[in-house]
Amino acid sequence: MNKITTLARKYRQAPWRTQRQWLGLVLLGVVMAAMVAGVYLNVTARATLAGREILDLNYEIAANERANADLQTDLAEASSEAAMQQHAQMLGFVPARPEDIVYVVVPGYTPKTGVDLSTTTGQPPASIILPEYRQTLFEWFAERIQSSAPAAGGQQ
Amino acid sequence: MKTDLFWRFRAVQIALILSGLAIIVQIIHIQNSPEAQAILDEGERYTGSWQTIYPARGEIYDRNGRLLAGNRTVYEAGVDLTSVKNVSEIATAAQLYLGLDYATVYNQITNPESPDVVYVVLDKYAAPEDVLVFQEFQKTISGNSAKNLSAVYFQPHMVRSYPERTLGSNVIGLITIDGGKRSFGVEEKYDSLLSGTAERRWIPSNPHDAREMPAIPSSTALILTIDREVQSAIENILDNSIQVYGARSGVIIVADPQTGEILGMASTPRIDPNQYWNYNDMVLGGIPYNRGVSQAYEPGSVLKILTMAAALDKGVVHPGTIYPDLTGEIIVGGFAIRNWDNAAWGNQDMTGCLQHSLNVCLAWVAAVQLGQDDFYAYMQQFGLGHLTGVDLAGEDPGRLKLPDDDDWYEVDLGTNAYGQGVSVTPLQMIVAASAIANNGQMPRPHVLKATVQNGRQDELPIEIIGTPISANTAQTLTQMLATSLENESSLALVPGYRLAGKTGTASIPTDDGYTLARTNVSFIGWGPVDDPQFIVYIWLEQPTASIWGSETAAPVFKQVVERLIVLMGIPPDQIRLSLSGQ
Repeated sequence: MNKITTLARKYRQAPWRTQRQWLGLVLLGVVMAAMVAGVYLNVTARATLAGREILDLNYEIAANERANADLQTDLAEASSEAAMQQHAQMLGFVPARPEDIVYVVVPGYTPKTGVDLSTTTGQPPASIILPEYRQTLFEWFAERIQSSAPAAGGQQ
Repeated sequence: MKTDLFWRFRAVQIALILSGLAIIVQIIHIQNSPEAQAILDEGERYTGSWQTIYPARGEIYDRNGRLLAGNRTVYEAGVDLTSVKNVSEIATAAQLYLGLDYATVYNQITNPESPDVVYVVLDKYAAPEDVLVFQEFQKTISGNSAKNLSAVYFQPHMVRSYPERTLGSNVIGLITIDGGKRSFGVEEKYDSLLSGTAERRWIPSNPHDAREMPAIPSSTALILTIDREVQSAIENILDNSIQVYGARSGVIIVADPQTGEILGMASTPRIDPNQYWNYNDMVLGGIPYNRGVSQAYEPGSVLKILTMAAALDKGVVHPGTIYPDLTGEIIVGGFAIRNWDNAAWGNQDMTGCLQHSLNVCLAWVAAVQLGQDDFYAYMQQFGLGHLTGVDLAGEDPGRLKLPDDDDWYEVDLGTNAYGQGVSVTPLQMIVAASAIANNGQMPRPHVLKATVQNGRQDELPIEIIGTPISANTAQTLTQMLATSLENESSLALVPGYRLAGKTGTASIPTDDGYTLARTNVSFIGWGPVDDPQFIVYIWLEQPTASIWGSETAAPVFKQVVERLIVLMGIPPDQIRLSLSGQ
C-alpha cells in the first residue's frame, strides 16, 4: 500500500505544472474565441459593406430606369409626328402625292414586315447570388449542428 | 484565517455563479414570455419595412415601333414636420420654385390632419425642372434657412406620358394619375398587362442585412396595329372635312380587311391625354370617348351592300337580275317605301340598284326575294347587333331588331334593307364589309399586334370570326360595287386604282319622323379590288354643306385613299399587276 502511495507521489504532477496546463487551456480558449470574433467581425463588416452596396445599387438601378424612361419619352417627343411634320415643312418638304411617286423594281429587296422590339438580354435571373454566399457564419454553424444531430424517431 | 479567506472567495464565487444563472434564466424567461413576440416585432420594425413595388407601366408603340405612351419622372415634394423651423420660409420657397399656393402650403404645415403626422405631401407630381431649381436654391443658401429648407424632401416616381399628345388618343385611351383611375381604349382594355404585377418586398434598413433584392417581373409593352402616319393623316383629313362640310362630328376608320388590323381610327373630339383633367369638358352631353366603337347610328345606304351580299349568297338574285322600278315606291308591311329622290328609275339590274342606291329595289330584294328569316339570319352572321369583340374599351353592340322583338314591325324588314331602323357602329360596318372584301371571311378587328415581355415579342394570331358569305359571292359583289362607282363617276374614285365602295345618306329620326334636313353621311370602300390592302369607313354627322354622302363622304374617302397609297406604298394597279406577272 505504501509502495503504491509512494509511486503516486512520485508521478504526481507538480502543482505549478497543473496550473500552467489550466492556464494554457484557458489561453487557448481565449485565442480561439478571439479568432472567431475576428473572423465574425471581418465577415460582418464585409456583409455590412455589401448591404450598403446592394442598397446603393438598387437606388442606382431605379434611377437608371427612370432616366431611361425619361430619355425614351424625350426622344419620342422630339421625333413625334407633329414635330417631324413641322421640321419637314421648315426644310421645304411637302407631302407626296400619288402622282409624285416613282416605283422602281429593286431585285432582292424585301420590304419591312414589322417592328421587332425583342431583346437578347431578357429578364434578369431570379437570383444572382451564388448559394455559397447566402449564409452567415452562425447560420452555417447552426446548419452543421442540426445536420450532425441524430434524427428523432428514426427507424431501427 | 486561511480557511476563512477560502470560504469568502467561495461565497463570492457562488454568488457570481448564481447571478449568472439568474441572468440566463431571466433571458430564457423573457424569450418565452407572452410579450416576447411583441418585443421581437417591435425590434423587427426598425430593421426594415415592407414596401409594395410596382413595375413601370408598359409602353405602347405603334406598328413601326414609335412610342405612343411611355413614362416620365416626376417628384413627390414633402416636408418633415419635425425639422421645420420657419414655416413661412418653406411656403415662400414652395410658391416661388414649385408653383404652389403659399396659403395652402402654410396651412398644410401648420395644421396637419392629425397631431401624430410628421410628414406632409405638398405636391405629388412636381416637375423635375422645378425640383432642380428648388434644389439649386437650397445649395445657394446657408445657415438656419438652409437647415429649415432641408426639411423639404423630393421622392422621384414615374407617371404616364403621351409624347404624341392628341394623336390616336381615342384609341390609346388615358389613365389619370390622381388616384381616381379612369381609362379608355387600349389603356383600359389591356390594363392588367400594362400594369404588371405589384410585389411586396421587405426592404432592410439594417446594413448588416445584406439581402438580395431580385428584380420584380416587368410589365408588358404593347405594339399596336395602328400606323402613326396613317393615324395622323386620317385625323387631319377628318378635322378638315368637318370644317369644310360643316359637320358636327365624324369618324374615319382604316383597317386591313385580310387581317382585321386597325391601321387608324380617328374620331372627334380628341383630347391630349397628358391633360386628362380636360376629359370632363370633352364628354359634355354624353359624347363617347371613341365614336368609332362606342356610338351606334343608323348608317343608311352603306348597309345595302350587306342586303345585296345576303341575296346574292342565297342565290335569290344575281347581278343581272332586273328590278322593274316603275313607280319609285314599294309597299312593305302596309307602309310605302320610296327612293331617296321619290323618282322611278325603270328597269335596273342589281348593279344599277347599288349604283343609284335605290331603296325600293333593296326593300324588294329583302322583303320579296330573300324573306325575313334569311335576311335577319344573314345580318346576324355579319355581326349586326353584336359586339365585334374588338380589343378597345366601351364597345356598343348597336341594335338590330328581330321579328321576335316587341318593337319589330313588318315594315322594318323593308327599311332595314337600306340601313334605316337599324343601328351600327362604324367598326361593325367595317367588320361586316370585310367579309365582302376578304373572300367571305370576317377577321376579328383588333388593335393589338404584339406583346413584348422579358425581351420576348409575341405576335398575335389572326382570328376569323365568321364566314357569312361565300368567296364567290364576295368577289361578285366587289366587282358590282367597283363597277357602280365607275359608272356613276363617283367622287370617291382614285385614278389608277380600282376601288369598290358605297355611299350612304341616312335621314336622322326626329320626333316628327325621318327628315332629310339632317343626315348622317357615310362611305365604305376598299381596294385594290383584286387584292384589298385597306378598307375605309367614313362617317360625317349632319354635314351642312351638303346632305348627300356622294358629295361629302365620297370625296373624303378619296382623300384618305390618296394618302394611304402613298403611306402604304401601294403602286397603281397597272404597275402592280405587271410586276406580279413577272
